[in-house]
Amino acid sequence: MDYFVIAVIVLIFFFLGAAVIGLLKGGREGSDKMFKALRMRIILSVFLFIFLLFANYIGWIEPNNFNLLPTQ
Amino acid sequence: MSNEKYYVPHGTYWPIIGSIGVSTLFVGFANQMHDVSWGWPVMVLGFAIIAFMLFGWIGTVVSESIGGLYNSQVDKSFRWGMSWFIFSEVMFFAAFFGALLYARVLSVPWLGGEYNNIYTPELWEGFKSAWPLITTPGEVGQNGVAFSTNFKLVDTWGLPALNTGLLLTSGVTLTYAHHALRAGHRNALMAWMLATIALGVVFLGFQITEYGHAYHDGLKLTSGIYGSTFYMLTGFHGFHVTIGVIMLTVILYRIQKGHFNLENHFAFEGVAWYWHFVDVVWLGLFIFVYWI
Repeated sequence: MDYFVIAVIVLIFFFLGAAVIGLLKGGREGSDKMFKALRMRIILSVFLFIFLLFANYIGWIEPNNFNLLPTQ
Repeated sequence: MSNEKYYVPHGTYWPIIGSIGVSTLFVGFANQMHDVSWGWPVMVLGFAIIAFMLFGWIGTVVSESIGGLYNSQVDKSFRWGMSWFIFSEVMFFAAFFGALLYARVLSVPWLGGEYNNIYTPELWEGFKSAWPLITTPGEVGQNGVAFSTNFKLVDTWGLPALNTGLLLTSGVTLTYAHHALRAGHRNALMAWMLATIALGVVFLGFQITEYGHAYHDGLKLTSGIYGSTFYMLTGFHGFHVTIGVIMLTVILYRIQKGHFNLENHFAFEGVAWYWHFVDVVWLGLFIFVYWI
């Protein structure tokens, strides 16, 4: 499961990088490329967040319990 | 393009104003560190001069752009400049995430005797190699080392999760704004930009609230490696969100003034990328700092 989360993060960075290439290129073509890449990046990010919420809810993955330690 | 004359900037007073601002800031900062009473006011004055310079200089560039002084060569220069800035930002956050990774995966386990198969005596009584390093040594007194007060960690599914939802929603609204700009829907563009800015401001408000809770629960910048990495990463991210909100507001103002059209909106694209990047950094923080 951790590898899946990391793979999605890598993909998000790939699309952010693709958007920079579009920005650098400029013109109509570059602008199209940038917009599409940024759109993919937000779709993947929202998907990852919802997946994490869902996976946590049904118990696939759990956050480290360190946040449950009592204060002394 | 080959027939275009390269744009040579005219003489300007903004760089010297920037230098005066930076010098004032550091004189104030150095004296503030020595508890000199006028340190803080001079620091604030330095900040004010730098802010004045930034708005003035960028304002001059905008006026020149609107006045048609720039050609495609200048456009290319802007795009390269933004790309290098983006590269520096990626490296900046990579360094802090790298520090977190190094501390968690390597240095703290090493201190606990892992990997080398050799028993390492405890650094101090009660030392436990774990992440986060809850108990850190405090002052050395007559009775040995006095431990610092334990701190409570931020609950992942409270404000951090809510803030993740808020920032991702702002990414969605910005994408709709970008689409509206490309489609020439001016009113929709302004509405989506306003929503993005509002979400950014609410995020910052919650982040300040969370800092208040964390500080109240004893988590400080001095709370060992966890406290320092937590505040450095989330603090610099919060600073970037603040800058992003200011830039989005300037872009909204420029949209209202009619500075952009379907073909020419580089400033919007640059700021949009920056906001998407800040959004991704937060997602990384949520996963690697608050959760895993």
